[in-house]
Amino acid sequence: MKKKTILIFAIMLFLVFVAWMLRDLFMVRPELQKNPYDYGMTALRKTDTVPSYTELSPLKPVLREITSVAGNQDGKIYIAGKGGVEILDVSGRMLKHFPIRGYATCLTLMPDGTLVIGMEDHVELWSPSGNIISVWQAVDTNSMITSVAATQNLIFVADAGKKIVYQYDRYGKLQARIGEKDPVRKIPGFIIPSPYFDVGISPKGELWVANTGRYRLEKYSMDGSLLTSWGEASMAMEGFAGCCNPSNFTILPDGSFVTSEKGIERVKVYSPDGAFVALVAGPEAFDEGTRGLDLAAGSNGRILVLDPSRNQIRVFVPDKRN
Amino acid sequence: MDKQNRRQFIRTGIRWILFGGMALVAGDLIFRKGEPLFGKNRKSGPTVWQLDPAKCIQCGRCATNCVKTPSAVKCTHAYSMCGYCNLCSGYFKPETKTLDTGAEKQLCPVSAIKRTFVEDPFYEYTIDEALCIGCGKCVKGCGAFGNGSLQLQVRHHLCDNCNDCSIARNCPSGAFSRVQLTDPYLLKGFGKKNL
Ligand code: SF4
Ligand code: SF4
Ligand code: SF4
Repeated sequence: MKKKTILIFAIMLFLVFVAWMLRDLFMVRPELQKNPYDYGMTALRKTDTVPSYTELSPLKPVLREITSVAGNQDGKIYIAGKGGVEILDVSGRMLKHFPIRGYATCLTLMPDGTLVIGMEDHVELWSPSGNIISVWQAVDTNSMITSVAATQNLIFVADAGKKIVYQYDRYGKLQARIGEKDPVRKIPGFIIPSPYFDVGISPKGELWVANTGRYRLEKYSMDGSLLTSWGEASMAMEGFAGCCNPSNFTILPDGSFVTSEKGIERVKVYSPDGAFVALVAGPEAFDEGTRGLDLAAGSNGRILVLDPSRNQIRVFVPDKRN
Repeated sequence: MDKQNRRQFIRTGIRWILFGGMALVAGDLIFRKGEPLFGKNRKSGPTVWQLDPAKCIQCGRCATNCVKTPSAVKCTHAYSMCGYCNLCSGYFKPETKTLDTGAEKQLCPVSAIKRTFVEDPFYEYTIDEALCIGCGKCVKGCGAFGNGSLQLQVRHHLCDNCNDCSIARNCPSGAFSRVQLTDPYLLKGFGKKNL
């Protein structure tokens, strides 16, 4: 009887030991999982502001590694990325796809429909039917072209490597270097800590540049004088969340700005004089860590957001209530 | 059970225990993290532990799990990737408005990052390794908003090169592996020369 008790006790002890070992090996203990040095990104990515836009079904291009989007008022959507350009109609149906050699980092449309494509270190002009018009020489050594914008006769090329916006005529002849530090002309120079350096032309033909190291948008005259600027660094909805924002922007037909940010991914609308107007999409709408949300104004008030993480063009329309 | 059977039972038991033990040792040698016994990943020459910053998710365990106090994992700075930002997201807490060196504004729990003015509007950030505990908070801030030039690395002059690194065992992202002693850092960018 005594032997039996000892045996049962020994077996129970053994089972308890095995259970303890299994727990130690396989169980996840919350107290060990908790990060005492958490940065608090989850809280930062939560927002109380309700978006004033509704998302429609995203457009899914065939191109992989998409980098840039442009739209025009007839509803066509132009997308560029690694090795190609794709043209979609308003519903996302592919109208045209043509290959390009290399990596398109940015694209814009000239008023006559010519496609201006930034290719890391040089610019190419293409017809909308997919015929190459011209290939310009490399801008400079260490150039990193991140954005292009165009008027009828001029093409502006933002070079994050050199921290300058170059102004060319449509034949690739350099006309001016905009934003170079010049104390005499009171030009402080662009501070571009990372490869996010966007440029745009307003409907009035004004040149706007995102000076991301100063967290603001700056307006320049065509000869390179700094005219005005707006924007400030702030985690609050009205501001730009730190370095290096706004990473991208576009200008709507009424002169309002649409901006996108990295870090805390958000897309917002500002009035032509830089007052916060509305949230288009907050961080919850994007995968954490998404960068390079290129923007374009689509037809009928649509805002097109290129989402490189999901390889989609996200489409947002103003809420009817607003 | 008669005597003969009991002996047989014990013998069989011992055989199984030996067999199990050998299988465990073999399995550990073949599949152990970082240093496989066979296959193309098998390296020759002495190796040390290192973490891949591209895989690290800054979970905090590099600070809490190392057998050394403070941890042998430190923040390192790949200066070639740094924007020398005034508003450094690795230095300042997210909501900071006035950009000065007040301890309450600093993200680093032990004030291990030094901020030095270079020229308007650029600042240089250097790590005081003696203070750094390898918590990765600054790495998270720099990676989320900036260029990701702050990166965690095992510092080999501090590391005991434990056979079974207690951080590697618990790293949730599998960032730890054994690397060649001759090339012991896995910094992104061109920052190795800064170490
Ligand atoms: S344990 Fe792994 S994920 Fe966590 S901080 Fe260290 S390397 Fe990064
Ligand atoms: S925040 Fe953490 S990892 Fe960064 S310097 Fe301070 S102690 Fe080191
Ligand atoms: S090997 Fe040892 S001393 Fe080195 S980092 Fe791992 S636990 Fe720390």
